[in-house]
Amino acid sequence: MNFEQFQNQSRLYVIGALEAEELEEFEQAREKFGKKAEDFISKCYALHEAFALSLRPAKSSDAIKDRLMAMVKAKKQT
Amino acid sequence: MESPELTSSSRGKKRGRTAHSRAGAHTIAPPLEPGAPSDSELMKGIQEGDADALSQLYDRYNGILKALILRVIHNEAEADDLLQEIFMEIWNQAKNFSEQKGKPLGWMVTLARRRAIDGLRKKQAYARAEERLQNETEQQPDAWVHNATEEEIVLGDTRVLIRKVISSLPPAQQQAIDLAFFRGMSQREIAAKTNTPLGTVKTRLELGLKKIYDGLKDLKDEL
Repeated sequence: MNFEQFQNQSRLYVIGALEAEELEEFEQAREKFGKKAEDFISKCYALHEAFALSLRPAKSSDAIKDRLMAMVKAKKQT
Repeated sequence: MESPELTSSSRGKKRGRTAHSRAGAHTIAPPLEPGAPSDSELMKGIQEGDADALSQLYDRYNGILKALILRVIHNEAEADDLLQEIFMEIWNQAKNFSEQKGKPLGWMVTLARRRAIDGLRKKQAYARAEERLQNETEQQPDAWVHNATEEEIVLGDTRVLIRKVISSLPPAQQQAIDLAFFRGMSQREIAAKTNTPLGTVKTRLELGLKKIYDGLKDLKDEL
């Protein structure tokens, strides 16, 4: 696998779309390309942000935040 | 909510003043208001046990994360419950977050997506969710939209730009990416669902994702 192929696979990898048999080959290439590979994979996670940011924000109930912060407070006290 | 971790000097202005640090090389998150703490600063606060930092992060991203969850599970009440669980997980797992591996928003979206897809699979609700999606799309496309706040208008600009990138793809590529990202489907599952050869699905995903990835590079400059 050359680096361009690795880049294509990386984009599939970060959205979890690599098939099991592809994953093994991808991990081998990842090891082979080392830091360059890790840096590229990190950049690919911007795709996650993009898909989330492409959606219209949804309103959640105020009670959710109240419950969350109460749980955090309780956890901190234990 | 008052936080014991905030010192008197930081209390008035919350955490830090370096919003520009959020605009890193690997993020396309929308710009912050001047003086607002960056996501990284808030994550650092959470790692130090600062509940106020979590509160601010929640205010900033609950709408985006809930939209993502809803896009996967199509159930308002379940999405609210899951949103709460996800922010609790952010609080509990913050120590495992490392800026070297990515930006906070990317980490949170990854976590939210995984939890939402897990939830969908556990309940084996694919068919029901699809039916609901169909109804929502036909009857009320913006059913979960509420009145826009100023922050959402800024987010809206980012959204419009990102959607422009995504909508420039051929429909078949958009569909393949949608099924992979929002439904967590494998290439084989997409091939079966769309009655398309596996190789074609792979090509659609590769081409589509590359175009979006390249489009985001230009978008970063625009933002």
